[in-house]
Amino acid sequence: MNIREFLSNAKKGSIDVKEHSAKVLQELKKINKEYFYLNAMAESPGFGRGKISGLPISVKDCLCVKGMESTAGSAILKGYVPLFDATAVERCRKDGAFILGKTAQDEFGFGSFNANVGNGFKIPLNPIDKNRVCGGSSGGAAGLAKKASFPHVALAESTGGSIVAPAAFCGVVGMCPTYGRVSRYGLIDYANSLDKIGPIAQSVEDTAFILELIAGHDIKDSTSSTEKVDSYISALSKGIKGKTIGILEEGFGEGVDPALAKRVKDAISKLESLGAKTARISLPLNSKYSLESYYVLATAEASTNLAKYCGMRYGAHENLHGSFNEYFTEVRSKNLGPEAKRRILLGTFARMAGYSAKFYSKAGKVRTLIIDEYKKAFKKVDLIASPTMPIIAPTFDEVKKLTPLQQYKMDLLTVGPNLAGLPHISVPCGDVKGMPVGLQLIADHFNESLLFSAGGSYENS
Amino acid sequence: MKTPDIMIGLEVHIQLDTKTKLFCSCSTKAHAPNTSVCPVCLGHPGSKPVLNKKTVEFGVMLGLALNCDILPAINFSRKTYFYPDMSKNYQITQYEVPLAQKGKIALDSGKEISISRLHLEEDPASLEHKDEFSLVDYNRSGIPLIELVTEPVMNTPDEAREFMKKLLGILRYLKIFDMTEGTVKADANVSIKESNFSRVEIKNITGFREIERAIEYEVQRQREAVKKNEKIVRETRGWDAPQGITRPQRLKETEEDYGYIFDPDLVTISITAAFKKSVAEKLPELPVKKSARFVKQFKIDAVDSQVISADPEVAAMFEEVAKKANPILSAHWIRRELLKILSTKSLAESKITSQHLAELFILIDKKAITQRTGQEIMQKLGEKPFSPKDFVEKHGLSAVADSHELEKLCADAVKENPSAVKDYLAGEEKAFNFLVGKVMAKTKGRARPDIITPIIKKLVKK
Repeated sequence: MNIREFLSNAKKGSIDVKEHSAKVLQELKKINKEYFYLNAMAESPGFGRGKISGLPISVKDCLCVKGMESTAGSAILKGYVPLFDATAVERCRKDGAFILGKTAQDEFGFGSFNANVGNGFKIPLNPIDKNRVCGGSSGGAAGLAKKASFPHVALAESTGGSIVAPAAFCGVVGMCPTYGRVSRYGLIDYANSLDKIGPIAQSVEDTAFILELIAGHDIKDSTSSTEKVDSYISALSKGIKGKTIGILEEGFGEGVDPALAKRVKDAISKLESLGAKTARISLPLNSKYSLESYYVLATAEASTNLAKYCGMRYGAHENLHGSFNEYFTEVRSKNLGPEAKRRILLGTFARMAGYSAKFYSKAGKVRTLIIDEYKKAFKKVDLIASPTMPIIAPTFDEVKKLTPLQQYKMDLLTVGPNLAGLPHISVPCGDVKGMPVGLQLIADHFNESLLFSAGGSYENS
Repeated sequence: MKTPDIMIGLEVHIQLDTKTKLFCSCSTKAHAPNTSVCPVCLGHPGSKPVLNKKTVEFGVMLGLALNCDILPAINFSRKTYFYPDMSKNYQITQYEVPLAQKGKIALDSGKEISISRLHLEEDPASLEHKDEFSLVDYNRSGIPLIELVTEPVMNTPDEAREFMKKLLGILRYLKIFDMTEGTVKADANVSIKESNFSRVEIKNITGFREIERAIEYEVQRQREAVKKNEKIVRETRGWDAPQGITRPQRLKETEEDYGYIFDPDLVTISITAAFKKSVAEKLPELPVKKSARFVKQFKIDAVDSQVISADPEVAAMFEEVAKKANPILSAHWIRRELLKILSTKSLAESKITSQHLAELFILIDKKAITQRTGQEIMQKLGEKPFSPKDFVEKHGLSAVADSHELEKLCADAVKENPSAVKDYLAGEEKAFNFLVGKVMAKTKGRARPDIITPIIKKLVKK
């Protein structure tokens, strides 16, 4: 049952929303016991009146929900109960959504597998194979979106691929909009110039429905765009005829599982059969420098964002003793996980006097060049297609063997659109060894509609 | 050019008098601790700063008043350091591009003090140390500040004081600073020739008189240290106002590393030519220009004019009074007598009007009352205003000009004080003043000294 069906049934009275909500909560508890998708859960079914009254919506832990512990998956924020709703949450709540709880993630979003959880947090398990990862960092969101039998949309967040990566690994749709399309107010920041909020759901249609609800300018976020929000729902049925899909060469080469590449190529052929044209395209700058540029900028920003977590005002506290420096060092040493520490060190180094010009400033310039490269590409093609992830969801054992650098390389295909702030979607397109494969489509800034048209056509074919 | 003996540069922090804070809508006027706070100024996770545009207007206003170049586009940066008064452990400030640069303030000597830049930034919270604890009051967290940096071109503590005084005068005119509640703090870098200008920074000096004291102390300290063959090290020292000394805070072998990055929560702000123009049109006539105009227009004394022009309320009052009464006399009296009253209250609080002053100055100018009566009336005006004209009539305070009556009173004074007469004749000038005083006492101050002096002189020579 998708959102449209749920809402119409509820309106007709064939679903008792109150009853339904209670059932949802029961199922949620059961799923969570087994798969660890939630860091916090609603205590009782609570929803308001409005056009999505009672619609179950989960929220990634890094998005503030008023009155519900919001930790961004970190022990250092244990006990932080926000005084306000993130704008995206507020917009859902205003229309009557039932906020289910806070979904699991890598600590502060620092990971591609959702295996870098904060101290004391459980790692969510892949809904199809429990020996495998969900993908990250919005692992709980994607896992729950797949596993839930009830209609549900997960509000997720992506900095370098955290919406589409887990969506691909779990076999659901992940939609990451243009930077600034959805207000970041209430988002516990990873890297503010890269963070984007978007939906994960079982269908393209459901993501379109929720994105339309949460998108749009917000005076509380200076970087949110004043650009008019299109009707994404009407875009779903517009078709793909005459549009040119650029097949990204680098997306099918070295480091990409050939069996997986084949599924994605098949999906592109399907779109061709629906009227799309194709062209080969290469983004050499992007493939060569986007990872480096991304990790420098993201960690530089993250290292300043995490500075405020020092055991004062909110979150984890320790016994007061010693000087301020000794105190906050103890709080941070105890409560931040190893990947958070690694990124703080990397980011602090990248912005130090004497290194800043070489790393931080340069990475910013590279980002501009990469955006230019995409902009040029979009003069020739309407969409850029590639696999979302180069491999299927790895097993926990496989992940353990990867070095941090190898892990960072998993973001190869997702980091480009994230760095450039371009909207992108991951749509399930078959499987390899029983594990789902994701087709990633990228569109030009604020052209989410085209992604919904393409995704919608594929989904309905 | 001759190498100076002392080099002084100032970094001044001015709290802007806006209704709300720099990045949130909390009031800037709260008193009880932690009553004007929100998730933004407390640095709560998820909160985001939104720029208070009024602060940009105020900054541009000050930039224009100081003849600065205003930059066409500005950004905010994060200056990261850990300190308990910092709600985010980074301060949002401007680093790469300031709001304005390359300005100046002219001292009375004509010397121009170059201002290298001025930018907007947020104030940290304030700390209160109690026993073994430190308490944090976040009311101040996020209060808008302008940081203004001068070149190290001041060469005496007095120049630094004058610079600060001029700056405060300008702030008063622009009405961007709360003269009663706001604070202006300065850090001064001070170096002397004897140490080959090894730079010492003195932090946290409040008020322009303190600036002079702190720098005077520091110059003296450095000179004595050099005499004792001690090395002047690059360091930061704190000004301990009650003790009147500077104390070492930390050595400064290298530049602080604040790891600046652009604040990615804030966007680039364009300062358009149209915006600059609209601000420029709102700029009031500033002290230097006003003072020059007063001298030219009213022919008043240049120093009187400067002093009067330093305060916009007083200057406006003078201009009103000068329409009705003799401007030169008015300026003279306003500077000397009115300002005495205004040392304890503002002009608005005193409720003295231009009509009050004009009446009084006309009476003095016409010699209808004596200077002494004039001073007494001025003092009373300061307590509770009234019409000086009516007051003089009611209390019979007009100057005694009747020469018959005066001659009689003078004769009485001479008769009653033979020893004073004797002393005067023996060459003691003071004794003559004593006699004048006696006549004044008899007339309750209404006798005009220029009339009674020759009468007494004639009497004692007989």
